[in-house]
Amino acid sequence: MSENGNARIDNVRIEEMLKQKKRMRIFLSLCASCGFCADSCFLYRNYKDPRYMPSYKAINSLGKLFKKKRKVTRLMLEEMSDLVYGKCVMCRRCYCPLGIDISGMISWARTICRTQGVYERYDIDPMGRIKKAAV
Amino acid sequence: MYDFIRGPMLWISFIVFMCGLVFQFYKIFSITGKKEAPSLIRKDANNKGLAKLKKYLNKALSSVALKGTILGTQPFVALLSFIFHVCIIATPLFLLAHNILLFESWRFRLFSLSESTTDIMTVVFLACAALFLIRRIFIPTVRAVSGIYDYLLLLVAAAPFITGFLAYHQLVDYETIIIIHIISGELMLIAVGLTKLGHMIFFFFVRLHIGSEYSFRGGSRSWQ
Repeated sequence: MSENGNARIDNVRIEEMLKQKKRMRIFLSLCASCGFCADSCFLYRNYKDPRYMPSYKAINSLGKLFKKKRKVTRLMLEEMSDLVYGKCVMCRRCYCPLGIDISGMISWARTICRTQGVYERYDIDPMGRIKKAAV
Repeated sequence: MYDFIRGPMLWISFIVFMCGLVFQFYKIFSITGKKEAPSLIRKDANNKGLAKLKKYLNKALSSVALKGTILGTQPFVALLSFIFHVCIIATPLFLLAHNILLFESWRFRLFSLSESTTDIMTVVFLACAALFLIRRIFIPTVRAVSGIYDYLLLLVAAAPFITGFLAYHQLVDYETIIIIHIISGELMLIAVGLTKLGHMIFFFFVRLHIGSEYSFRGGSRSWQ
């Protein structure tokens, strides 16, 4: 869901924003992928789909941005928006046994997406989206 | 070969291990600052010393609080993880043969457990590692976030125990397996500072030193 579909991605700005959150790079490098966080997410408990797992959302949004650095494409951000907007409600209830702030990472991925004009359009076809999420 | 891995290579791995620990600690420490004390505090008469501890224990051990932790939701895996981590630290440190080598080199030794105890601990550790592997392969949530890196690190952690077990029981050629055992042990020490195994430092730092909703106690530092 983006406002200006053809605008270029400002990779320099994304890089600057990633640099502001050094702790998140450490978080991502130390996540033991234990999967304990799944049960703390009520969306996961409802849908039982691993894509709703907090660590999956963080690794595949902010983690991907850290990996790609200056090669982020709009398509990537669009795919990410489905994870960070569509599969997370920012309730901050995700629990990590190592003490990683997962919701903070998802929130920062949202912020980065928003600076590039990629965000959830709540006014467009809300019922269609809900049906899609329920599948 | 044996002389090299017991001499210079051991020193290299110890130094990389220690530097890795210091580096991990510094990396986290450098991006945290002193926690600001709130200017207004609600006074609580029963919040000192023993009363505080009692209050904390009551809260932590109540059935409601326990339900919301991993111990409540996945007790079996939590127990498995606890045993795994106790064994991975305690077995090599308190192994008789390791302590004899230590004594021969530096005239210094730690308390050592009996050989049969450490043998059982090794088997228990390997069983835990195997269950972790099975969990990683078959549980969809864990599989979704696992990469080749995670399997590799589990192997790095388990390799010294597998080879140590084989060497102790002399099931295969002792000379070769002991060399592989030493190399794999050194590799694991090196990996602590450089890979995900760094959660050895991170866990205690974040849970005990950083004051946030993710810490066990108040904490004295905060993220910058």
